[in-house]
Amino acid sequence: MSTLREEILRFITALRDAGVRVSVAETLDAINAVATTGLDRVRMREAMAAALVKDEADRPIFDSLFRSFFSRADVRRETEANRAGTESSAAPGAARSKGESFKAGKSREEPTPGGAPKIVKKSEKSAEAKARAESEKNRESGETSGEEKQRKSERPEHKQTTEPGIEAARGARLRVLERMPFENYSDLEYEEMRDLIPRLVRRFRVRLGRRLRRARLGRIDFRRTIRASIQRGGALVDLHYRAPRPRRIDLLVLADVSGSVRHCATLMLELVAGARAYLSRVRCFAYIDRLAEADFVEGHLVTMPALDMYARSDFGRVLAELWDRREELLNRATVVVILGDGRNNRRPARADLLREIARRCRAVLWLIPEESVRWGTGDSAIFQYQREISALLPSRNLEELQRAMLKIA
Amino acid sequence: MNITQESVNEGLRRAKYVTNERVETAIFLALALEKPLLVEGPAGAGKTEIAKVLSEMLGAELIRLQCYEGLDESRALYEWNYQKQLLRLHADEHQGMRWEDISEHLFSRDYLLERPLLHAISSPHKTVLLIDEIDKADEEFEAFLLELLSDFQASIPELGTIRAITRPVVVLTSNRVRELSEALRRRCLHLFIDFPGIEQERKIIELKVPGIDARLAAEAAKFVAAIRKMGVHKSPSIAESLDWARALTRLGIKELSGDTIKSTLGLLLKHEDDRGKVEQKLASLVARR
Repeated sequence: MSTLREEILRFITALRDAGVRVSVAETLDAINAVATTGLDRVRMREAMAAALVKDEADRPIFDSLFRSFFSRADVRRETEANRAGTESSAAPGAARSKGESFKAGKSREEPTPGGAPKIVKKSEKSAEAKARAESEKNRESGETSGEEKQRKSERPEHKQTTEPGIEAARGARLRVLERMPFENYSDLEYEEMRDLIPRLVRRFRVRLGRRLRRARLGRIDFRRTIRASIQRGGALVDLHYRAPRPRRIDLLVLADVSGSVRHCATLMLELVAGARAYLSRVRCFAYIDRLAEADFVEGHLVTMPALDMYARSDFGRVLAELWDRREELLNRATVVVILGDGRNNRRPARADLLREIARRCRAVLWLIPEESVRWGTGDSAIFQYQREISALLPSRNLEELQRAMLKIA
Repeated sequence: MNITQESVNEGLRRAKYVTNERVETAIFLALALEKPLLVEGPAGAGKTEIAKVLSEMLGAELIRLQCYEGLDESRALYEWNYQKQLLRLHADEHQGMRWEDISEHLFSRDYLLERPLLHAISSPHKTVLLIDEIDKADEEFEAFLLELLSDFQASIPELGTIRAITRPVVVLTSNRVRELSEALRRRCLHLFIDFPGIEQERKIIELKVPGIDARLAAEAAKFVAAIRKMGVHKSPSIAESLDWARALTRLGIKELSGDTIKSTLGLLLKHEDDRGKVEQKLASLVARR
């Protein structure tokens, strides 16, 4: 049983490596769950999934890992039952080869077997070693026919239980996209992403709307309470509360639409445009080497005046232009949101202007679609800017962009 | 009741809940490990139904907390019965009692209004607590739920900590209006319910619509699945496809055709655009059968 536990732990490590977040508590849950359900393969899989996979998008990863870790072992168990004691050498061999090919030979040196933990006892070690050698051979020369038969008999069951439903598959695909870094987008994926926008806009709006409606309980409205009490002979039976006044947010968005961060910027501008009604004042600007008012007309980014898409980024100049229009654009309620990689083509960074701007308004947030290891390398002036702003929020993929946007609200 | 996987399956069958191994295992684990079960999935796939079936299965009271924006502790956990306290105060004053005597009673259980969560914890019998559409509540409320879900206890400053006598079976449902926090997800077992496959839906229809023609049930299930696959605005829920099947039997229809579908489509699709879309493709949908 202890080998099973180890195997589960190893399985969880593999899950983590694949990007699924699993906590220690969940690990315990998974072990408890398997202990409760037993070793029937389908039950065991579902039990572990319930304890470990908290996001349906991670389910395909889980399923494929589970198959490589545990399914062969199960086949072995079945054959053991079928042949009633006769040593079968092919099945554990298969388990070995499965586990090994998955871990790319890493486990080959390990003394404990990788694929068939629950049935391997010490006495079987030698048989196992023989089987391993055999399986190596098998792998080269194609698998034995008996094994193939087993695999076939196993297939239909798989199909029935693991085939994701329509909604699940759709959700999973979108989640994968959400986590894909913007720089890896192809145009096709970008278009697919655009379909997601309405949903994100809805989320963003919910958040903003919630802020406006928040807290009906709060300070007591004395006048209304007293007035209501007159009906009850002066007893303060019904309490009335004062509605809090929501803070005003004026949003000023500056988005770099030059080649390197184009996708991220347009997605964000579209998001903001969709939530416009919930913010008191929004001004969106796109920039490359100068400011241009940005708007969305039928799903296309339109800038006024038109931007030279082949210009080289110059944020210093953009800041200067913004500073010239400060009376019009900046006040105490303004939250300035800048999206860009801070790559200035070695032109003057003008971080001093950014400091002045930050002083005039409530907050300056910078969303950066670049990976953190690349900040400040080459012509990036991001660290100079970072000193002057309220927060630097990473937004490498849509998930992070979303999180950053919700922080604004 | 001794909980085994078999007894759970049997209970589900008796409660007429047609499902698959994924759901059975998750429910069994939630009962056996006494952990809350977080159920996600598209609207109308039977998330809320799980809690109802559980309460029927266990013979336990179902306590439902419907979440909404602005839901707070006083609506979810407890509230002092302010009006009653006030009356008591007035009455005692007239009898010339001193403040010390009065105040002793004022914050006792008599003046506590139990809201669903407290009710579920303090009940001496096993209960099923359904926290419906948790994603609609605010994040603060979610954080507040954490104490309850991990330890099954709640603190009331005036009374102290109230611990659950029997742990309620907790089912949370979410439609993904917003992402739930990691902390909450960690504490729950997770179950994703999708729309049933054709075969499963046929079983559901046959079970819940007595007297339906077997062939009609199969055809209806197939048609509904095809609509869902088209990617309409609002996919028909199981309840809607049941309504539709009921209507079909009531109208005495034995076989689906373009016209009968057209005249009853309102039961399945509640959006005008969806209706237009499906009606356009109706010919091919019917022919494909």
